[in-house]
Amino acid sequence: MSGNANAPVRDLTAKESFKLSKFLVKWEMMLVYILILINVALIINKPGLYFSRGTIQAIIESGMDLSMLVLGMIFILMLGDIDVSCAANMILSAMVTGLMMDAGLPVILCVAGGVLTGGLCGAFNGFFVAYMKMPAVIVTIATSMLFRGIVKIVLDVNVLKNFPSFYTALAWSDIAGIPVAMIAFLLISLIFVLLLHKTTFGRRLYMIGNNPTVTTYSGINVEKTKMEVFIIMGLMAGLASIFFVGRMGGGVSSTMGTGYEMDAIAICVLGGVSTNGGKGKVYGPIIATFIMAFLIYTLGLMGVDANSRKIMTGIILIIAILIPNINREFWAGLKLKFVYNNNKNVEAINIKTQNEVKILKEEIAAIKKNADLSADKKAAKEKECLDKIATLQKRCKETTAALKTEQQEDNAAAKKRFAK
Amino acid sequence: MEDYILELKDVVKTFGGVTALNGVHFQLKKGEIHALMGENGAGKSTFIKVITGVHQPDSGTMLLEGERVTFRNTQDSAKMGIAAIYQHVTAFPDLSVTENIFMGQEIKNKLGVYNWRLMTKRAKELISPLSSEINVSKPMSALSVAQQQLVEIAKALSRDARILIMDEPTASLTKHECEELYRIAEELRDNGVSIIFITHKFEDMYRLATRVTVFRDSQYIGAWDVDKISNQKLIAEMVGRELSQMYPEKTAQIGETVLSVNHLSKEGYFRDISFDVKKGEILALTGLVGAGRTEVVQSVFGIMKPDEGSITLEGKEIKINSPIDALAYGIGLLPEDRQIQGLVNELPIYENVSSASLKKFQKNSIIDVKAEMLNAIDLCQKIQLKAKDIAAPPSSLSGGNQQKVVFAKMLSCDLKVLIMDEPTKGIDVGAKNSIYEIMNELAASGYAIIMISSEMPEVLGMADRIVVMKSGRVTGEFDIKEATQEILLEASLMNAKKEEA
Amino acid sequence: MKKITGYKNFGLLVGLVGLLIIAAIITPSMYSPSSLISMLRNNAIFGMLAVGEMFVLITGGIDISIGSILSLAGVVSAMQMSKHMELPTVVWVAVGLGVGLICGLVNGILIGKLKIVPMIATLGTMYIFRGMSFLVSGGEWLFPHQFTESFINCAAGKTFGLYNVIWFEVIVLVLAGVFMNVFTVGRRIFAIGTNVESAHVAGINDGNIKLVAYGICGALAGLCGMLYTANYAMCSYTMGEGYEMTAIAICILGGVAITGGRATIDGVIIGNLMMSVITYFISLLPGLSVWQDAIQGAIIIVAVLINVSMIKAADKRLLKERGALI
Repeated sequence: MSGNANAPVRDLTAKESFKLSKFLVKWEMMLVYILILINVALIINKPGLYFSRGTIQAIIESGMDLSMLVLGMIFILMLGDIDVSCAANMILSAMVTGLMMDAGLPVILCVAGGVLTGGLCGAFNGFFVAYMKMPAVIVTIATSMLFRGIVKIVLDVNVLKNFPSFYTALAWSDIAGIPVAMIAFLLISLIFVLLLHKTTFGRRLYMIGNNPTVTTYSGINVEKTKMEVFIIMGLMAGLASIFFVGRMGGGVSSTMGTGYEMDAIAICVLGGVSTNGGKGKVYGPIIATFIMAFLIYTLGLMGVDANSRKIMTGIILIIAILIPNINREFWAGLKLKFVYNNNKNVEAINIKTQNEVKILKEEIAAIKKNADLSADKKAAKEKECLDKIATLQKRCKETTAALKTEQQEDNAAAKKRFAK
Repeated sequence: MEDYILELKDVVKTFGGVTALNGVHFQLKKGEIHALMGENGAGKSTFIKVITGVHQPDSGTMLLEGERVTFRNTQDSAKMGIAAIYQHVTAFPDLSVTENIFMGQEIKNKLGVYNWRLMTKRAKELISPLSSEINVSKPMSALSVAQQQLVEIAKALSRDARILIMDEPTASLTKHECEELYRIAEELRDNGVSIIFITHKFEDMYRLATRVTVFRDSQYIGAWDVDKISNQKLIAEMVGRELSQMYPEKTAQIGETVLSVNHLSKEGYFRDISFDVKKGEILALTGLVGAGRTEVVQSVFGIMKPDEGSITLEGKEIKINSPIDALAYGIGLLPEDRQIQGLVNELPIYENVSSASLKKFQKNSIIDVKAEMLNAIDLCQKIQLKAKDIAAPPSSLSGGNQQKVVFAKMLSCDLKVLIMDEPTKGIDVGAKNSIYEIMNELAASGYAIIMISSEMPEVLGMADRIVVMKSGRVTGEFDIKEATQEILLEASLMNAKKEEA
Repeated sequence: MKKITGYKNFGLLVGLVGLLIIAAIITPSMYSPSSLISMLRNNAIFGMLAVGEMFVLITGGIDISIGSILSLAGVVSAMQMSKHMELPTVVWVAVGLGVGLICGLVNGILIGKLKIVPMIATLGTMYIFRGMSFLVSGGEWLFPHQFTESFINCAAGKTFGLYNVIWFEVIVLVLAGVFMNVFTVGRRIFAIGTNVESAHVAGINDGNIKLVAYGICGALAGLCGMLYTANYAMCSYTMGEGYEMTAIAICILGGVAITGGRATIDGVIIGNLMMSVITYFISLLPGLSVWQDAIQGAIIIVAVLINVSMIKAADKRLLKERGALI
């Protein structure tokens, strides 16, 4: 049925050649443009501030407390699931580290304890989602209350203040002008890029996200893979607690970090990871993390308060989801609706005529190039083609008009008939 | 001209590049039963959806009693007296039978308030002549497939239709139920209703129809008076070539028994199923749609868990808990619905091919993309998959070539047994032929093949042995030499001994 | 029909009675009429939110923006009330409903027309509505002396010995019950939740029905916003945070299938009562109030587990009936 049914199987090992034009309109590149745009806006508005020492570092550092959650969330969304408990999980992990520090245990144990707590919480989520087949939204809403509830029970209104000193150093210092947190973020990102884009594990994620049934039929353990992803998310929440506590200056209480899960999801979506699962790359959310940091900082400088920024985040989230729908089909749909009066007959005849005209025009070009023909023969043939184009276009116009009146009559008749 | 109640001209309908109807015509006379025939994928189902307004045609005209009409949705067509019984039951499983009958055409007052009492009464009136066992206040999911089909018929009857379309209504009915349906259809015809009767069974056509229209490969082939066309000619028109050319010569040597299924049962689906398949053999599992064939092979493949029974592979009893186990033992399944179960349309062809055998292509869990591609190219050449680019998604291919991708995916695993669930469903005739050739070659190279098929010619043309199922039970097993279309049909309609537990 | 519904919710009823007995053993003081009434009063708003959420869940979707809608509608009606004290209270009820309806329709358009995943769409609008609530209020709070008496009476006043807010809940429950059982649109919400494809074939436009479901959900959340400010004679943009979770929890406890298509109003009533008893019980025990969140979270998980297994059991029962036909 397809037009090329008889084409031979080509040698396909050759990689698709790099096309600059295609590369430049990729979603990830769009994000880079947005990032640049925000920077330019910032430079124009506050040049003095922008180029003063430490500003850029401060902006980047401000975005890094979310970065670990974003990375974990990429995998979760890739499955078509969601995790809204990750912020609560992060606070719970931080609390465990803090309590262990208070108990005077060695630093390394305390950090490991925190991260492992995260992993354990992730496994808890994963068990219900993967093996009990409960919807991820509901499970993580519940565990979000549960984890934060546990922190409330243990801490009540107290604040834990005793944390390893490297937490704050990680969040606030830089090496040769490059924030340490960013270095850590990029290194861990690299692992995630490898995992998703190079390994069988990543391939399984894409398959499950796009079509879990096929994945099951292909002999892949969907449940186990889901479980692994939720554990990774948990571990990332544990790691995030390091960045977060450092950022907060080494203290943690039960009310901190609310809404972080939503910010992480928003960044992932902005980064091109579809919430339906199976679409997107790690690069997008990495860039989007920086976009968010710069955006929030810029808005803050422009005097926009935290709650208005919330509105912005919401709108960005929705727009980021709507944009991928605006593709060629979308425009074709709009054209059909407004230019062709929603009449597919009209659309068909117009497209057909356009194609025929295009072929004729190519013919004219070929004739012009043809050296074998004399000048008058060329002119005669050209005229013939031009005439053909004219008649085609005229006929197309007539048919279109006829079809449109026909449709109007039909609609009127339908209205009358179905009005009863 | 005037005596056509419904006439369609040059109807074209495409779905995202795939042409489902390519300029078809149709003429229905007042008060006739008109059979519409054609193979699976010929476009019959899409055609009736166009008539009823589920789909709007891309181009073409529809005349109702000589007047041009356009339907925006099914409610428009219902108002004009067109009703349809769809092939796949279009039910609301959680809602009651009454609501299923009246959904979209509720009996209500001006405020939109249901008249439950009247609806229940009407529903009972409609159902009782069809079946005495159906309780109209039960949810639809409590009914068997055949009963659901009867509800669909009641639904169509409730519309007081002038034109009634039935899409394979007899596919899962017993002989007795079929007779009842014929009676209803004739009664309706005598009352002046025009009926379009889509069917696979010649029996239906000869019993009911006066005229027949044939579609093939989304195209209109022709229309004839039933008594003026020979059976041979009709088959040739439907298939597009002589039957003898369709099926390749068998070349396989049949060897030892590879897989045997012993007394497999699953509550609500099938009971006491036993069969075995030998090396190099093609075993056909046939019967009507809804007989439980798919569920049986899904149990063998580990998708469903049977309640009782055992499976033996090469003499050893094996436990299959999931497709992972099945593939590890060398049992593969080519699923019934390649869009939902077979292919990930968002991933490139080569990734689909290796998706069931990923372990082969990993080094330290990093995927060797080059090996993957080479494997895909190799397999594609073997089964003559015509693809422009193996890095393109399978959705860019035709149905037949998509099915070949699923074949390649299965061949990429090291299999002993390959189960195929309706391998030629929705595939055009040319591609069918090449799929039969692949099957033949696989059998010759030592695969044991189980093929589920509803199409009698395909079963008779390809199988070495045939197992027939009816309502979840085996009702017959035949060698190819003794099997004829009549024998198989009889077995698939036979009432199994009722040994209720 | 009635028979099956009765049977379906029997398990829930047993659960409720069990809870009541446990609570009675530990804190007998709970059973004075006045404390029971105050328990109902405190949970009436959750009951109404849950009814709205139920309609959304039936379509197979979810709405997590209702807490923010509650806040926005509450802030708008209360703030305007404090500026136009001369207007009758019924105006503010209408304002609350109207603001909520608009918010709900925004959700409905995003989900039904633009086909965004419900979770993400309402996640976005949750931010937006909450932010707008802040902008409208300017971050300011309203205190009891800024409320008119009739405004407060609208929720906190008593009629026939019961608080008005409870009467509101009763009316909402009755209307919702009628709407979902005998109205065409109500039944069609079930239809698209149980099988969208079949709904298309039956000529039902699922986008429009979703618009209705989210619209109702928003309107009820808006009404709750107005009643909340009246009930507590207090108004701030932070109110209603996390209420969506409680509403969803009530629905799940009440046997509403998260996968869509299955729900009963009596189930939601029982779910609401169960949640009321639990929260009230916790609040009575000294030192237990910090346990509130953790317990609620645990309850949801257990409820979903029960919900899922109940649906499985029901499906199995149906399968058995079918099996008898083989």
